[in-house]
Amino acid sequence: MAVDTTKNPVPFEMAQIPGPEMAKAYNTAVIGAILKKAKRPLLVVGAELFEDPVMFDKAIEIGKTGVPIAATAHSIKGFVERGYTENVTMIGLHPLTNYLRFKDWQGLDGKGQYDVVIFTGIFYKFASAMFSALKNFNRDIKRVSIDRYYHVNADMTFGNLAFNPDQYHEAVDEVIAKLKA
Amino acid sequence: MDKMEGSFAVEDMQNVQINIGAIVKEVEEWDQPMGPFPYPSIATLRDWDFKIMNRYKVFYSPICDRCTLCTYGPCDLTGNKRGACGIDQAAQQGRIVLIAVLMGCTAHAAHGRHLYHWCLDKFGDLPFKMGDEILVDAPLTRTIAGIKPKTLKDFGPVLGYVEEQVSQLLACTHTGQEGSYLDFESKALHAGMLDSLGKEVSDLIQIVAYDMPRGDEDAPLVECGMGTLDKNKAILITYGHNLAGSAEAMFYTEDNNLWDKVDIGGVCCTAIDNTRICEGIGHPDKEFNDKYRMVGAKAKIAGAIGWWRKMVRGDCMDCIMVDEQCVWTDAIVDAEKYKVPLIATNEKIMLGLPDRTNDPVDEIVDDLVNFRMPGVVVLDPVKAGEVGVKTAIAVKPKRAEIREADPFLSEEDFKKYAESCTYCHSCQFVCPPHIKIGDVVRAAAEGNYEPLSTTYEICVGCRRCEQVCPQDIPILSLYAYANRDYIRNQKFKMRAGRGPVKDTEIRRVGAPLVLGTIPGVIAIIGCGNYPNGTKECYDIAREFVDRGFIVAATGCMAMDMSLYTDAEGKTIWEQFPGGFDGRNICNIGSCVANAHLHGAGIKVATIFAGRNERANYDDIADYILSKVGACGVAWGAYSQKAASIATGFNRLGVPAVVQSHSVMYRRAFLGRTDKREDWEIIDARDGSKVYCEPAPEHMLYVAESVEECMLMMAKLCIRPSDNNSGRMIKLTHYCDISMKYFGCMPPDWPIYVRHASDLPLKWKEDMMKELESKYGWEIDWKRKAILSGPIRKSDVSFDPTNIERKIRVKK
Repeated sequence: MAVDTTKNPVPFEMAQIPGPEMAKAYNTAVIGAILKKAKRPLLVVGAELFEDPVMFDKAIEIGKTGVPIAATAHSIKGFVERGYTENVTMIGLHPLTNYLRFKDWQGLDGKGQYDVVIFTGIFYKFASAMFSALKNFNRDIKRVSIDRYYHVNADMTFGNLAFNPDQYHEAVDEVIAKLKA
Repeated sequence: MDKMEGSFAVEDMQNVQINIGAIVKEVEEWDQPMGPFPYPSIATLRDWDFKIMNRYKVFYSPICDRCTLCTYGPCDLTGNKRGACGIDQAAQQGRIVLIAVLMGCTAHAAHGRHLYHWCLDKFGDLPFKMGDEILVDAPLTRTIAGIKPKTLKDFGPVLGYVEEQVSQLLACTHTGQEGSYLDFESKALHAGMLDSLGKEVSDLIQIVAYDMPRGDEDAPLVECGMGTLDKNKAILITYGHNLAGSAEAMFYTEDNNLWDKVDIGGVCCTAIDNTRICEGIGHPDKEFNDKYRMVGAKAKIAGAIGWWRKMVRGDCMDCIMVDEQCVWTDAIVDAEKYKVPLIATNEKIMLGLPDRTNDPVDEIVDDLVNFRMPGVVVLDPVKAGEVGVKTAIAVKPKRAEIREADPFLSEEDFKKYAESCTYCHSCQFVCPPHIKIGDVVRAAAEGNYEPLSTTYEICVGCRRCEQVCPQDIPILSLYAYANRDYIRNQKFKMRAGRGPVKDTEIRRVGAPLVLGTIPGVIAIIGCGNYPNGTKECYDIAREFVDRGFIVAATGCMAMDMSLYTDAEGKTIWEQFPGGFDGRNICNIGSCVANAHLHGAGIKVATIFAGRNERANYDDIADYILSKVGACGVAWGAYSQKAASIATGFNRLGVPAVVQSHSVMYRRAFLGRTDKREDWEIIDARDGSKVYCEPAPEHMLYVAESVEECMLMMAKLCIRPSDNNSGRMIKLTHYCDISMKYFGCMPPDWPIYVRHASDLPLKWKEDMMKELESKYGWEIDWKRKAILSGPIRKSDVSFDPTNIERKIRVKK
């Protein structure tokens, strides 16, 4: 049975209540379908992956489906250590989001702006603020979180799974399965 | 009488003495002509601000999507919609940023204003002298105001200017005033500059009045840490930023030979300033000088701001004096609960307490010692100091009795609380550094205290966990209990704040800094909201000192980096000398002292490069932006003062890196390397336009991890003026840090290569191969030369500027 990722849609830092527009928690099938449908998706992963190394392997699985990966902070090291750097680019989350908010940016590969960004493994407050920047200043990009937190400034997110790592990993696996299907 | 200006009729005046003011004297004593922008107003430096923002795009990440400031609201601005008044989301963010920067600016300037009045009252109008090695003695005041102060009173008009500008700027935030985000940011940059000026005035006044070190690289090593507070004595904690009352407590203790009965420990920047008192070149008042020489070294650094609540729970104090800024506003709640009398000594923080300024000392002490009231306001610093010391000494035995009967936390209580945790994770939902508090408490319930120890330095002491705990577990008290041995043994050394950088030091490092052979100045500043503990302060400092950078620290980060030692048990202050030089680390001083870091940049422009600083802000900032490889870091930035400090650095052309919590500031300045036109710089020799490498690439940057922070700092020290040797050294550090922490080269290293001799020797051959094969550069392998590919060619005579009036001969 699929993990219910729509439960517990409470901001991980409880006082992060931005305003009238807040993220909706979706199940893994819908999120997976959105990723699959995306024309120019970008997976953005951060340094929290080092605290949950299995997530590097899952990110690589996503990368292997053709979704390019932006490795923020020093997370590139996790990919280098695993020998997977094929479509992984080292870039800070702050400059990356700055580029994403401009419609004329041509992407990490020079082929055009992205239509869906997927965040995971990024320090919660930082990721939330970067989602907010896109929510307010470039609404052409769909903001998806597959992190263990309910991300209030995303378009689509899981509910909070921060205290249930097994369920969280299972949920990510379900998204990957949908993406591969 | 009020200051009068203009022309006056002297008819009918008898027995009137007329003093001709400072302006005539000024002309005689300063041969530098007045620059273009004395006392700049809001619009004066707007062109410079727009140049900065054209290159470094204003980036907003709103924390709140609404505006709730007027009665038309709340207005939903999500998606950059406009509110009822017409303001859009970007401008609203700029408005909030301006308000935050003004808060910081006024905190520093008001500190200076208080010290100005107090020091004139106490010491009179002292001559402003910084000693023989500091002739460019108030660089920000000279650059912004265009004046050269001669006595403390000369700082009065400077503070008046800051206050007038602040008033104008705050008015701009009212509904129906400014509507452009760019202009809000220009105003914020103006406020940041005013902040730097206010800080300089504050610190210079106290340096002169309290005879603090003037650029002394051998300033004494002072005791630092909770364990240095002697529990056999009464412990008086002085907490905040303004030393007026605290210094008087020290003078009273000295006058009455009470150091064997009382220990005075500072928290936050008051701690640093206590330990600087009377360690300078000698106070002009001989009697004062003889009495209090080196008294500062008798005070102790109890700890930085992040340790405050840990000290309270660790039972590290008998009496508290609070002054201003960064004082947790529930200090009085803790004081009452733990029977620690509190004396509020400054009008800015009065906490609802009765004002006892005009009451006799002994009556106040009696009321405090017998707990008739939890605290008092005493606004006379001399009286406050006496009350503080007497209360601490008298209350100590009473507090000991109370504690014996009712300890802070018994073993039994500890177990009871730990076992009452229901593992609901509410605490983890609100913990800023994401400590898994539920796991930590559960382990404690099972008798394993280790997680409480290993996360003690990571805890920022915010106490949000306790606020949300449904079981009312006093989590900070569990920490204090489990770490009681650590608290007892937290004994380290920190170098006392040395004050400004000396002219002689600038002469020594000016050329290597501008050419790049000293790879940069790393300015480590303030606060205690670290994303992953205090240890990272030490790690950042150590990384860059080891690499030969000039490392200068101020405020709470200077204190926090003192808590770690090398294998020989030496703190960073004992490992390295305290000069402003490569492989040195200097503690400049408290929060306000970081104005001297701005000052150091100005001095490079004026002493080394011979630029006139007088009322010439944009010219000096332009020089620093293009030629002085410096980068600030506020890894624990928490306050609005940190916002104003960073913004002030940015207007002066110095980039800053902050930690991930700093997205709360909402705004950054970020460059776009894909926009070639953004990096067009003028060659001042002939006015030609040159497309440059993006150096520095960003102006205000949030890093996600300390590793990213260090990499970015190394990169942000790169400047267009680097010579080949300097660029090679800077690229070596940039690439080496990347290899060390990222496991690979940074992808953008090629854009900083202008010539083969820019390449790090360590990887030169491989890099040239990569430039040829991956990037299509033309390489002459016989000569080991780059024939084509770089953004621009290396040119030793290139004179980069962003200001048209600096062009010497038009092409």
